[in-house]
Amino acid sequence: MASHGLTYDGCNFFRQRLLLSTLSGKHVKIKNIRSRDDEPGLRDFEASFIRLLDKVTNGSRIEINQTGTTLFYQPGLLYGGSIEHDCNPQRSVGYYLEALLMLAPFMKTPLKATLRGVTNDPTDPTVDLLKSTSLPLMKKFGIDGEAFELKVVKRGMAPGGGGEVVFTCPVRKTIRPVQLTEPGKIKRIRGVAYSVRVSPQMGNRIVESARSVLNQFLPDIYIYTDHMKGVNSGKSPGFGLTLVAETLNGCFLSAEMSSTPQGQGDPVLPEDLGRNCAKLLLEEVYRGGCVDSSNQSLALLLMTLGQQDVSKVLLGPLSPYTIEFLRHIRDFFQVMFKIEVQKPLEDERKGGDKVLMTCVGVGYSNLSKTIK
Amino acid sequence: HSERESDEEEEQGALKWKEGLQQKAAEAFLRQQAAAPNLRKLVYGSVVEAQESEEEEEELGGLFRVSRPQQSKKVQANTLDCSRFHPDTFHNWDVEEMLDSIRDCFVTGKWEEGHDAA
Repeated sequence: MASHGLTYDGCNFFRQRLLLSTLSGKHVKIKNIRSRDDEPGLRDFEASFIRLLDKVTNGSRIEINQTGTTLFYQPGLLYGGSIEHDCNPQRSVGYYLEALLMLAPFMKTPLKATLRGVTNDPTDPTVDLLKSTSLPLMKKFGIDGEAFELKVVKRGMAPGGGGEVVFTCPVRKTIRPVQLTEPGKIKRIRGVAYSVRVSPQMGNRIVESARSVLNQFLPDIYIYTDHMKGVNSGKSPGFGLTLVAETLNGCFLSAEMSSTPQGQGDPVLPEDLGRNCAKLLLEEVYRGGCVDSSNQSLALLLMTLGQQDVSKVLLGPLSPYTIEFLRHIRDFFQVMFKIEVQKPLEDERKGGDKVLMTCVGVGYSNLSKTIK
Repeated sequence: HSERESDEEEEQGALKWKEGLQQKAAEAFLRQQAAAPNLRKLVYGSVVEAQESEEEEEELGGLFRVSRPQQSKKVQANTLDCSRFHPDTFHNWDVEEMLDSIRDCFVTGKWEEGHDAA
């Protein structure tokens, strides 16, 4: 594999660096991790993330200095298989799962990951969001099949957690290039209003207030109420809403909100949460594109790793996280995207500026995939 | 011809602005191009720029720090690693104009020529 590695400063974009390192085979060194902080070095959730990477790979070398401020990572082979991981509850399962989604198609054997911890919190994308937007997006790149699913077995709200999800993903030798330039009109809005360890009425209150905003645009709105009980309800009380708008061309735009974790700040009313989440979805529709803001980097990665052909994807404004991801893709794969801004026409009522991303895939092929 | 020549001589000072119009136009165009938000430059930048900003910060180091959102790589080096997009400003979705601005994103909105609901 490539012999030269890359060096970065600080703990930000930690997952991007490690997963791109794993995919490209280039080793990476991260220095000055919170070196000026009162508590310097890696946090528990980052250590937990490294352990997860170690579980899905074979032969990775990880060296951390005594204060935890410097990390050296020499990636091994992506092995996959059946793994279980207790995700540190400082971050929700979404934090870990976002990276697994990007790695899973390139394993030697199909991945079956059982992740336990916080399934829903206000910081990271929740498992419900990833399930309803990331999976359909990956299907467009040719990653599909019966064994491709994300199941929420138990729900666990922050801070206690206690949730469990099972993610299974088939392996692919190559990734199909895509042309997603026309999102199409939004035909329906679906959603999940979840609640655990609170009155089941919370779900209905969320649904009603969210509908009051969204019904101004569409009649076809259905928001499921998901109230888990007993052992499936985790350790902390809470509720939240995930909304997904589906277009005629099968693109998904999403927004979500979770209640404030118990004992961390002001509690939020379900009515306010529903209404604000619906407005967040409108904001996402205004941004627009064929891929929503939380899945931009996933789409760009799969474009980069596609066969040696042109891929085009229309996005809304690039998020700061995505911009950094593009820089990292350049560092690890030497791929630079063509970035064109598309201004809306004079009489068009389709939200703000869009960004058309074009690149030629590196022709990444998963050589370790087992052939049956 | 002689008349024009003399005219030219007379107005040489006044007509100086006419010289190299094409070149000026080209320069103005390039200036405008540079001023318009060039996303590619924003994302990938140039190597020279990155080095410059680093030096500047070191010079100022210690008590003061110039905060430049686009170049503050050092500042954001240790912030939260999160993929959520939190824009600086949200639109006000209670006003009718805002709601109107996205009407055509929905099947209930206006359709372009040549497309229809079927």
